[in-house]
Order: sequence, then C-alpha cells, then structure tokens
Amino acid sequence: MPAAVAVRDVGFGPREAPILEQISFALERGHFMGIVGPNGAGKSTLMQLLVGSLAPTRGTIHFNGVPMDPAHRRAILQRIAFVHQLQDHHPTLPIIVEEVVAMGHPDHRRWWWRRSAVRAEIGRVLEQVGIAGCQQRDYRYLSGGQRQRVRLARALLRRPDVLLLDEPSAALDTPAQEQLYRLLRALCDDEGKTVIMVEHDIAAISAFVDSVACLNRTIHHHAKRGEQVPVQVWQDMYGEHMHVVAHDHDCIGCHPERSGAP
Amino acid sequence: MSAFFASEVMMDALLPALMIAVVASTVSVMVVAHRLSFLTVGVAHASLAGLGLAAVTGLPLLPVASLVAVLVALLLPWMPTGRGISNDAASGMLFAGSMALGVLLLAGADRQQVDLFGLLFGNILMVDDHDLLWMDLLVPATLLVVFWMARAWWSIAFDATTAEANGLPVRRYRLLLYAVTGTTVILCVKLAGVVLTTGLMVLPAAIAWFWGRTLLSLWLISVAAGVVAVVAGLMLSYARDWPAGASIIVLLCCLFCLSWGCQWWRQRGGIGAG
Repeated sequence: MPAAVAVRDVGFGPREAPILEQISFALERGHFMGIVGPNGAGKSTLMQLLVGSLAPTRGTIHFNGVPMDPAHRRAILQRIAFVHQLQDHHPTLPIIVEEVVAMGHPDHRRWWWRRSAVRAEIGRVLEQVGIAGCQQRDYRYLSGGQRQRVRLARALLRRPDVLLLDEPSAALDTPAQEQLYRLLRALCDDEGKTVIMVEHDIAAISAFVDSVACLNRTIHHHAKRGEQVPVQVWQDMYGEHMHVVAHDHDCIGCHPERSGAP
Repeated sequence: MSAFFASEVMMDALLPALMIAVVASTVSVMVVAHRLSFLTVGVAHASLAGLGLAAVTGLPLLPVASLVAVLVALLLPWMPTGRGISNDAASGMLFAGSMALGVLLLAGADRQQVDLFGLLFGNILMVDDHDLLWMDLLVPATLLVVFWMARAWWSIAFDATTAEANGLPVRRYRLLLYAVTGTTVILCVKLAGVVLTTGLMVLPAAIAWFWGRTLLSLWLISVAAGVVAVVAGLMLSYARDWPAGASIIVLLCCLFCLSWGCQWWRQRGGIGAG
C-alpha cells in the first residue's frame, strides 16, 4: 500500500540559493507529523508545495501513490484540506459561521441545492471542533481562537484524508492549543487521517505527534515519538546560543531557549 | 407621481434602468468584496475608447464599448505587478491611456453623432433598440454567470489562499470577475455616464455592508438599494427636470449617509453593529 504522503528529494528555488533542498519523508495513514524550525526555514513554502500552489524545482510529491502534478492536482486536492496561519481573510465581510464552513464543501457550486444535507454536515464538524451550535453567529465578532476552530471545521467539511496545518495555534491560548492538538490526535487515531502541522513550539506538540521534522532549508532531523532531538540539531537550526531543557515525559524534543533565560 | 407613470418616455427608460440597477447592484457586492472599486473607475473611463471607436467606425455602441471594457479589464492582471506596479497604479495607467485614446477618436468623429454630455453623465432616456437588444442579452447572461460563480468568488474574496489550496483556479476565476465587471460598467455608463458609473458599482454594496449579516442578505440589500435609488432617481429627475444619472447617484449617496448614521446611532446606543 502506498504511503499517504511521500516526499522524495524535493527542492525549491535556484540551486545556488535554494529555499528548500533534499526534503524527503514518507507518512503512513493516520500519522501525525509536526514540522518545526526557525523563521525563514521554508516551512510555509513546504506547505505550498504540498498543496501544489508551488511546483517543486526538484523531486516529487505523491499522495496515496498519485503524483502532485498539474494533471492530478485537482483530484488530489479533493482529498486534502489546508488550514493556514490566521490572516488573509476579508476582515469586514459580513458573513456567518455557516457560510464560512460551507466554503470548504468540495462542490462549491452545487452545495446550495443540497443545503439540508450540507447543514447537517456543518453541524457535525462544528461539534467536532468544539463550537457546536454557532452556525448563525457573525464571524467578524468571534475571538481569534473561535475563528481558527471555524477554519478547521471548514477544512474537516471536505472529509480530507490528509490535513495540512500551517501554525494553526497562532491565535490560541495554551488550553485551546492543547484542545486543538488532542482533536488532531483523535482524527489520526479514530478516522485514520494523516496530519502534517507546522508549529514553532516543539514542547507544546511533542506529547501529541508521532514524529517531528526539524526543518531549516532541509530536514536536519526527523525524530520519532520518544526520541530525543540531539542538541547539535538545535544548534544547527537556531544557532550556537541555544541550550536544551529535557522533559520528564514521553517527549520528542526539547524546548529551545535562549541561554541565560530564567 | 401619476404623471411620471403616465409619461411614455419615462416608462421606456424605467425597464432598462431597472435591469441595469439589478445587474450593477449584484456585481457591486463582488466589486467591494474583491476591492475592485478602482477597477470600475478605470474601466468606466477606458470605455471612452470603445465609445470613440464605435463613433468613428459607425458600429453599434454598446457591443464595441463592452468589448473594449473587457479587454481593458483583462489587461489589469497582466500588468507587471512584480516590478512594483501595484493594481491601483496599473488601473490608473490603463484608464488614463484608454481615455486619452477615446478623446482622440472622438475628436475625429462626426460631432453630431456623439452625445458627449450623455457619455460623461449618462442618458437613459436615449436608449435605442440596439441598446435594448444588447441589454436583453447582457443582463441575463451577467446575472447567470454571477449566480454560477458566486460561491467560488466569495471563497476567493474571503480567503484566497485556502480557495487556491481547495483547488479553485483562483487566477482564472478572478479574470472572469474582471470581465463581468467590465461589461457591467459599460451597462452603467448608459445610465450614469463615464464619470458617475463608479457610484452605481460601489454605493449599493457599500450600503449593504452596513446592514447585511450574511452573504445572501448583502446581495438582497444591495439590489434593493439599487432598485429604490433608480426608481426614485428617475421620478426625481422627471419632477425636477434633473439629469437622471446624477439624481440616482445623489440618492444612493443619501442612502449611504443614512445607513452610516443609523450604524453610528446603533453603536452609540450600545446595541452593537451588524
């Protein structure tokens, strides 16, 4: 059975100054992978490559054995959902939650004619992300955390096999972050979804993910659950000033802190 | 009021004006949502080139002007934005260039054929059979395209990154919106002229923005505002012998100010917006 996501020797940008180079990983169905790295490491670029908004300069990306290329992109995107950083939405557009979530429906033209079925689906995904019954609420007046849940619900309405998230916890407080990670973990375990999530804080995600890729232009280290990320990897990614604090639980890596920090 | 409804000239103008009001108010919500207001200014002024071309060649005015407007609107995405030419700068250059071309063409046309005041400020009372036929084709076609594309265009306006990741051909759909905006602008030129057309393309949606809570209500309120302003504007124009286009735009401005005032009043009273 082919891997749910297979990235092989992917590079992006000119050879003399690549933004990404030699990126390789393969994820089975139900795998939850975190990607961490400093600003400018190419994390968002990798996400753009995965959704086919950018084409890799080198290498290949496959979803369930199907190559992400112009011929197959549309079909693949029917099975993928993407949640990006909280920005870019029209801030003053009068719109209710139900309409935002409905935008995720794969058949954006015909959903109107199957409103009752789609509405039931919308109710289901809103409940799944923990904001049941808010279909008629004005999206403009939701908090950052509630908006992010709505965006996740919009992604789930697509019933994706693969869920791609680019810093989904940017607007969330710590308990809300943990709720989000628990939900994503449950989606992997219960529904077999494959999740790839870009985050900054490895300590926050380490208890939930199956593996973490440490990215800075290339993948410096791909740590599995319970594996310690070597100090050298942190220093390669963030610089020599990093020091490492070990956790006492089932963790993948360590929280990077500036030396001298309390 | 009864004299207005008894006037054959006004009744002949009412139907085309209402058709234009419905289509302009419908496209208006997309124009405001996609921040294309300046594009409508550009295309309206660029339409002078199409009108000049029609006047020089003797071809029917609306089809030629519509074609030129669509071409100008579609040129916008091809401007070298990557080299620092922003969309508003590109619109400015396009409309200045094509308006200058229009002035040159009109200067060479038979002056008796050109109703310059009508071009600049609109003259819905002078709609001929050719114009009506073109409107009968263009208005339903435009409405059909908007309803077919509405959800995709809303998705792009709301969050283009996710729309792209969901597989929508964002660039192609935007081009189609530009083209639809171009043809609608030309219809509005007949009613409000080159100078006032932007009012018809922006004000109905701007009014709806104060009252709407859902995407559907935005559209309904925008159309209601457009239709009310057109009917009342024509009546005012008949009663006071004022230019119809200017009367309609002034009424739309009044509705906008009224909505703004109501919004301010509601917020002041602590009831909350929206």
